[in-house]
Amino acid sequence: MANIVKLQIDGQEVEVPSGMNLIDAAERAGVHIPNLCYMKGMKGVGACRLCLVEIEGLKAPVVACNTRVREGMVVNTKTERVQEVRKFVIDLLLSMHPLDCMTCTKAGVCNLQKYAYDFELKESSFTRKKFGYPVDEANPFIRRDPEYCILCGRCVRVCKEQGTNVLDFMGRGVDSKVVTAGDKPLQESECTFCGSCVDVCPVNALLESDPQHKGRAWEYEQVASVCLLCGNGCSITVSSKDGKIQKINAGAPAGSAERYLCAYGRFGFDCMEGDTRLTSPLIRENGRLKEASWDEALSLAATKLKEAGQDAGFISTAGIENEDALTLGRLAADVVKTLHLDTTLSLYGESDVFRKSQTADIDKTDLILLVDVNPSQWERVLPALDAAIRRRVDRGAKLIVINSADTKIGSLAAVDLRGDMPSLLKSLAKALIGKGIKATGQIGQSVADAEITEETEKAATMISEAHAPVIFSSPSLFEAAANIALLKGKIIAMPLESNARGVALMGLKAEGKTYKEMTGTAESKEQNAKSAVKVLYTVGEVPLQKRAEGVEFLIVQNSHLTELAKQADIVLPSAAFLESAGTIVDYLGRIKYLAQVTEPPGDAKTHRDIFIALAKGMGKKIKRPTEAEVKKAAKVKTKLSFSPFVRREGVAVTPGDFIESINASVINGSRLLWLKEAREAATV
Amino acid sequence: MEDELLEQIFASYEGTRNELVPILQEVQENLGYLPEEVMQDIARFTGVPESHVYSVASFYAQFRTLPLGKKRVAVCRGTACHIRGAPQILHEIEERIHLREGETSEDLEYTLETVACIGCCALAPCIRVNKDVAGEMTPEKAKGLFHGDGNGNGGDRAG
Repeated sequence: MANIVKLQIDGQEVEVPSGMNLIDAAERAGVHIPNLCYMKGMKGVGACRLCLVEIEGLKAPVVACNTRVREGMVVNTKTERVQEVRKFVIDLLLSMHPLDCMTCTKAGVCNLQKYAYDFELKESSFTRKKFGYPVDEANPFIRRDPEYCILCGRCVRVCKEQGTNVLDFMGRGVDSKVVTAGDKPLQESECTFCGSCVDVCPVNALLESDPQHKGRAWEYEQVASVCLLCGNGCSITVSSKDGKIQKINAGAPAGSAERYLCAYGRFGFDCMEGDTRLTSPLIRENGRLKEASWDEALSLAATKLKEAGQDAGFISTAGIENEDALTLGRLAADVVKTLHLDTTLSLYGESDVFRKSQTADIDKTDLILLVDVNPSQWERVLPALDAAIRRRVDRGAKLIVINSADTKIGSLAAVDLRGDMPSLLKSLAKALIGKGIKATGQIGQSVADAEITEETEKAATMISEAHAPVIFSSPSLFEAAANIALLKGKIIAMPLESNARGVALMGLKAEGKTYKEMTGTAESKEQNAKSAVKVLYTVGEVPLQKRAEGVEFLIVQNSHLTELAKQADIVLPSAAFLESAGTIVDYLGRIKYLAQVTEPPGDAKTHRDIFIALAKGMGKKIKRPTEAEVKKAAKVKTKLSFSPFVRREGVAVTPGDFIESINASVINGSRLLWLKEAREAATV
Repeated sequence: MEDELLEQIFASYEGTRNELVPILQEVQENLGYLPEEVMQDIARFTGVPESHVYSVASFYAQFRTLPLGKKRVAVCRGTACHIRGAPQILHEIEERIHLREGETSEDLEYTLETVACIGCCALAPCIRVNKDVAGEMTPEKAKGLFHGDGNGNGGDRAG
């Protein structure tokens, strides 16, 4: 598709794919073309006029962001003429920008400051213009100070592209201002506080609320890591200073549709120092939880687990790292010797489904098919998927939605199919086969009785014409939707937790009693009474408020004192996710690395260290998983095979509620609580 | 009343993005300005984000997001009027009706604005109240036109 074009930039020969703009092409040649409004991955708008370059043969300079490479083009990016224009632009901008770099939090990473330095502009040669705009700081997340705004429009464009559409320009000319509808504070708009605007602001107009005057960019240590708060497992960049997290930004590469982070991922980190944070093991004595040493807690836990043996049960979240999952598996099988180990994954899917889930590249797909998946930035259900899909659609990809109910994202769909999902999939498969796509006999037979509708026919045409279609399916419909992927495209099972796929690949699955049985949340009472385990060991934040009946001894291992932990006999303090290095396998099948940014507080330890110490207390040694072991387990591929077009029953969770409940400590222990309170206040 | 009016207006459109400006114009023609809730309805109807409707409405000088006073006073600040004393006249009217340029009185009696040229420079300096133009203005004449007599005209400055 992409032809290679040869051109010359500042005397250097470069070869780049056709269709590329001059800013990206110059970057390949190691030449930086100054710009303030350009955003990788998005169409250039030529607003700031800083990226002007001269092309031999053309009279006037052109904007590099909006000019595509051509064979044989000779580009000069640093001629006297364009340098003069650039200096003039910066000079004008400085005339309406506060010159307080000495106290500005953005100093060091401010693009305007950088270019003023480059052009040796100390101050503007024009009359100073002051607007006197008020600062919008009524929310605890984003501080908006229009006085610093240079009207580059990056925030407006990022907000539009991801579909939130909160920010836009008001007025015109130099008096323009970036505002919400009606120039209201952010919380009175549709803002989700994702902070994408903060990530793209080149100056100090949009900044996180908290780091004001707490440190400068050059004092931060920055590491790449992963957010573990929902099934998206977004890449993040964590900035810390003196061992404390200062801020978290989106970490996916610039230009990727995945470069997004929701309010949870960006602002939830204060929970690591929340009031409910556990820093020491607790043991129940005379009905009350008392602080204890690790030795006391572990030896009591070891005794209880030994006594219970196969009557002990483990439940864990699927938001633990692969290394923790492998260690937990070993602890249960080899040390405690019980079959009863299950994860929260079983509340919304089956581990087999995640083992079959394929790999795909969102940035390369030209058609997305959503099956029973309803991502929403507003409901905070897989918000990054919602944003990525909206961006892909904005960049030309097509969307097909199959759902039994109305979806907000459906309004973007080229085909929005509503109804009985297995029948719709069947009809779609039949229409696809009708397009001449080869199918196995089994699929052919099973769709014989299906009816093709106008809509499924249209969807099938789009799929058959697409280059790289990707299906995102709920686990319940994965097998039915996989039949489509057997015909064309890739299929991804959408988890609600970050490492569901990793946990499945690491082999954690219910071989004995299930999560529901062990927690007394199964449908029938008799089943619950029979299925309780004597000793229940929970790992991580499980969506459970009450100790199950019949559980004689409850061990809770978590980073925060949850409602469940308050009912436990032993509470073991674990590291939170930025306190433990490890890996996950994200929903797209990529192994992502988590860095340890800070030390766990007090006596808290990583999950795997607790498991290993506990095994030692029980007289057994378990091996610490190596990277090679994790990689090997993560690499196992299970082939798709035909399954009947049916929906798997048994899923009883509402995605929004589930994600909120597994993040209860994060939400309640951080400024995110403000969001919840604001929402509750609004509904009263 | 507004709902019915909007329904009537929307009936002659399809609800697409490129109809935004004509709809805004028609609504303003009928209501005199663009109230916030109406802009929300227009956003829903055209499928354009609310922020964008607001952006468009604030971009064009023809659109108003606040209601106008019954008497729209326009003081010409064109070159001819300027050199023949428009600033003094504006100042006098500001004092009389207790409004600054661009403001509307709380009782919706007056709106004070300035324009670049009314088109009758021979009569400079001139002002226009709604559709009536008054030329060869002096501060004294202006005083006569605007009593500011405490009959509820003018009063508190609108914010």
